[in-house]
Amino acid sequence: MLVEVALFAHLTPYLPEAGAGGTTGSPHARTIDLPDGTTVGQVIARLELPDEPRIVFVGGRHAADDHVLAAGERLAIFPPVAGG
Amino acid sequence: MRTILRLNMSDLSITSDAVPEKWSRYGGRALTDAIVFTEVPPAADPVGPDNKLVFAPGLLGGTSAPNGGRLSVGAKSPLTGGIKESNSGGQAAHALAKLGIGALVIEGMPADKDAWYVLKLHADGSAEIIRDDSLGGLGNYATKDALDAGMGDVKRFATITIGPAGEMLMKQAAIAVSDPDGYPNRFAGRGGLGAVMGSKRVKAIVVVDEGLGYLEHADKDAFNAAVKKFANALKEHAVTGQALPTYGTNVLANIINESGGYPTRNFSNGRFELVDEISGEKMREITLERGGNVKHGCHTGCVIQCSRYYVDKDGHYKTKGSEYESVWSLGADCGIGDMDAVAELDRACGDIGIDTIETGVTIGVYMDSGKLAFGDADGALKLLDEVRKGTELGHIIGDGAEATGLAFGVAHIPVVKHQGLPAYDPRPIQGIGVTYATSTQGADHTAGYTITANVLSVGGTVDPLKPEGQAALSQGLQIATAMLDSLGFCIFVAFAVLDIPAAFEAIYEMAAAHTGEKWDTDALMQLGKEALTMERLYNESAGFTAADDRLPQFFYDVPLAPHDVMFTVTDEDLDSVHGFVAETAAGMGISKP
Repeated sequence: MLVEVALFAHLTPYLPEAGAGGTTGSPHARTIDLPDGTTVGQVIARLELPDEPRIVFVGGRHAADDHVLAAGERLAIFPPVAGG
Repeated sequence: MRTILRLNMSDLSITSDAVPEKWSRYGGRALTDAIVFTEVPPAADPVGPDNKLVFAPGLLGGTSAPNGGRLSVGAKSPLTGGIKESNSGGQAAHALAKLGIGALVIEGMPADKDAWYVLKLHADGSAEIIRDDSLGGLGNYATKDALDAGMGDVKRFATITIGPAGEMLMKQAAIAVSDPDGYPNRFAGRGGLGAVMGSKRVKAIVVVDEGLGYLEHADKDAFNAAVKKFANALKEHAVTGQALPTYGTNVLANIINESGGYPTRNFSNGRFELVDEISGEKMREITLERGGNVKHGCHTGCVIQCSRYYVDKDGHYKTKGSEYESVWSLGADCGIGDMDAVAELDRACGDIGIDTIETGVTIGVYMDSGKLAFGDADGALKLLDEVRKGTELGHIIGDGAEATGLAFGVAHIPVVKHQGLPAYDPRPIQGIGVTYATSTQGADHTAGYTITANVLSVGGTVDPLKPEGQAALSQGLQIATAMLDSLGFCIFVAFAVLDIPAAFEAIYEMAAAHTGEKWDTDALMQLGKEALTMERLYNESAGFTAADDRLPQFFYDVPLAPHDVMFTVTDEDLDSVHGFVAETAAGMGISKP
């Protein structure tokens, strides 16, 4: 199944080269082909993201590492960020 | 001993008295609140002779407390009609504190309505009021240049200035404070306090601290130990130690957009399709390419270093670069997805002396009227030129989002207590809606920054899409923020304080070691409650009721994409936020101002 994965701030360099731009042409997004039933945690392991707190969204809502992704969903992962 | 220095513009007299014993624990916001509460009649005309403009460093201003050099500016607000504390970075707070000044109060109004004055506070403790009409009409940058030229050999001083908007008493006029490099680019932006300064015919204040060191402490060793503990926590936390220094506050653009709470085109969508063009990551890339500065503090003693300079294509300084709120308001909220265009607008706001948040919201409202297309950056810049010139249209824009929306018949005017909403839509991020609705300051994200737990997983988590738990979250943060503002801390220390217990301990340890008084967790929270209590009672006397603690109706009945949600926190929950006020007021022995 095809899933859009987006990484931000200092996680951006962990994006794979293939699938550039995702569905929106964003430099932060990639379209990735994953086996059915893949979880958020499995994507994090596959991308070899650093072991640190993360803020994870699926479809713009907070999601846990055990969330099972569905075809066409967008997974976005941020390191700890804040501002205002 | 801290003093209250008073400059009376009616008779041009200067007096100085000790800060009263009853206010010995107050600095910053609590002290500006106490003076406004006690001395400014709630019915006063904000730009009349009875209003007072108060500048106060925090209780720890003038010390090496990390990120402890913020400035509180207080008065009755021309924009909201209520009490206002507008908070700025820059060098002025430390400079005032080193002069022993707990609060600088500008009161009265000169008889000569054509005069412009400069107030000079010298390092030897003397002060003078100098008439200089030549500064009239100048922008903040030209004013700063003129002040610099008159300083001779004196190199270390801070300036506080207004631009043309403040001179013309516009309701969203801001007050500029110089940064460590001397640029007049830090702002007490919100609430129109630049108009209060303009009404007193004060164009500039110069505070000289050359040759003055940090203040002495009651217990130097204990103070230094607490400073170290606090600085370590700020460096250790991923937000204050890594994300903010690397990307600046605009690192938020992508995550708030992802959450669906990034207000776009006058709060008509929660996502902006051009966010990649104005994100913190993009800003860093552009700035590095052009050789700009991507990391410095807005005041001496800042260890977070989220400030930066935006430079033009030739590598020349354009403006501070730029804050998340400013990029959002002048960018996404106006449908403008071009970083250089946003920086040009930010520079114009800074020079004219208007609040970037209110300005962007105002232009967004104006665009919504159909008078200007969303995304028209050139048209937006021309609007700001109207403000600078003081044309009829310029005065409407200069009076803010509500004035503009009413003048041009716009249905959706995003304001609370007459002040424009900042960069988080309260429908998908409900906690911030509670803060907007209930804050004594009008719609103000900093007053109780629930984005922490709602979106950023700092200080716990509270589901942003549900109404449950939002009132309690907002109340706790509003009290804590009033406390930090009173001690003089940058509120970004809260990101570390909420997650690292040692950081919180270090705050009361610094306060105790500096003042020699007993400070603990309860004393800190009491300080925050007392500041809010004075603000709340003042606003009640100024005419605010529970009906003013609500969001504009469209947030309750127009769903926002992409989550298609509305604001659902109950009125009962909103009214619970100030539940502590009656008891705190009784304990303080105060009722109405």
